[in-house]
Amino acid sequence: MPAVAPRSGDAIFASAERVNAELFTLTYGAIVRQLITDLEEVDEVNKQLDQMGYNIGVRLIDEFLAKSNVSRCVDFKETAEVIAKVGFKMFLGVTATVTNWDAEGTTCSLVLEDNPLVDFVELPDTCQGLHYCNVLNGVVRGALEMVSMKTEVTWIRDMLRGDDAYELQVKLLKQIPEEYPYKDDE
Amino acid sequence: MAAIYSLYIINKSGGLIYYKDHGTASRMDTNDTLRLASLWHSMHAISQQLSPVSGCFGVELLEADTFDLHCFQSLTGTKFFVVCEPGTQNMEMLLKYVYELYTDYVLKNPFYEMEMPIRCELFDLNVTQGVQKDRVALLGR
Amino acid sequence: MIGVGKIKQYSNVLDKPVSKGKQEVSLSAFAFLFSELVQYNQTQVDNIAELERRLEDAGYAVGARVLELLCHRDKGNRRETRLLGILSFVHSTVWKVLFGKVADSLEKGTEHEDEYMISEKELLVNRFISIPKDMGTFNCGAFVAGIVRGVLDGAGFPAVVTAHFVPVEGLLRPRTTILIKFAEEVLKREARLG
Repeated sequence: MPAVAPRSGDAIFASAERVNAELFTLTYGAIVRQLITDLEEVDEVNKQLDQMGYNIGVRLIDEFLAKSNVSRCVDFKETAEVIAKVGFKMFLGVTATVTNWDAEGTTCSLVLEDNPLVDFVELPDTCQGLHYCNVLNGVVRGALEMVSMKTEVTWIRDMLRGDDAYELQVKLLKQIPEEYPYKDDE
Repeated sequence: MAAIYSLYIINKSGGLIYYKDHGTASRMDTNDTLRLASLWHSMHAISQQLSPVSGCFGVELLEADTFDLHCFQSLTGTKFFVVCEPGTQNMEMLLKYVYELYTDYVLKNPFYEMEMPIRCELFDLNVTQGVQKDRVALLGR
Repeated sequence: MIGVGKIKQYSNVLDKPVSKGKQEVSLSAFAFLFSELVQYNQTQVDNIAELERRLEDAGYAVGARVLELLCHRDKGNRRETRLLGILSFVHSTVWKVLFGKVADSLEKGTEHEDEYMISEKELLVNRFISIPKDMGTFNCGAFVAGIVRGVLDGAGFPAVVTAHFVPVEGLLRPRTTILIKFAEEVLKREARLG
């Protein structure tokens, strides 16, 4: 198959069908509200948001691959750049910046200044431990797992908690080698 | 315009999750299709190991006397392959198109469970339309 | 670059300027989120009626907020007081903001005085969803029905709102009708207002 050039996040976003971000923001708010009512404990809500994100991530990755024509990334640095510039852009319409690489090149930060999940949101006192955008952690984690990378994704900065940006730390734990079917018999 | 005989989708474990028969020639029963899917899954994996060239991701085209088999594997391990009349054009484009339909009408369906057989009406409708001869010709442009 | 004078720190979210509503996300992003909303609610219920109710409730909260947002931004805080006014608002303004287009049609019910119908060939929320045969007439549009109920309730027009699939002659797929049944007090008030 002749190689098709990878497409930029801007190009994909421009050619994709789009909706008003407010529908998205309000729907997400409705989800968080439901979880708070159902689960009550902030920690449980955080966990559920992460799980929901994971469920989305494992499905969203195929669309990402199909539309972006991204081939296997050479290393994790490339992976992070692709997530930040293409992934976030084609779905959320915003790009992230990749910073804070560690020496091994296995941990970095994705920084978002604009976040469509959050608009007019203020955390009430009863929810101070809530990671409102925790769905994003799960999405990144789930998506990467489907392409054989096990990661740990945590919040470093959260604007709803008074920080000046949203910063997600992504840590590559291990690359799962592909398994061959005939090896299962061993 | 050459004909498409059948379309298969297999999940990352080699299970058949979608099969569509378009030809009027021999129809296979369910067990045969499952066996064929499983067989292809193994052959595809073995071909990656057998390849003398490094960085090979498996068979993309199998040409036989009475049919061609085009296969596309996503980076997530899902395989889409089509069995068609020898020489049929635009099959890679068709597989890519079916992949996109899968990301829309299967993966965005809340009633679809991952890795399970696909029973999504909208996916079926769109695939059937996509396989029409005139549509396939459009893909090549 | 981060922190280079671009981000304003607002002491209070109420001080932030109301967005103009022009930011967009991909339809896919919304579809995945909505799919997860449905999947989550499926785990919380035992039957389809409950699932419908939960989706409607989720939509209600969205509707209430959309009304406030639009009244402030687009209508300069004017209030609709007449039935046709609020229906037109839902059919046109609300639909345009949320779904990018006005609804296909708005009709008065022929059998009952208190019923109105907003119909769409296909609701945006249902774009990628195929209902399994064993779920009968279930429609994820229950979420949209909830949105409409939230708007109407907030505007002072309480109603029961439900979503239904309606088969159409000659079309492969049924269209969706949002059925609005106004409370008696609404009709009484409407009659008084002449």
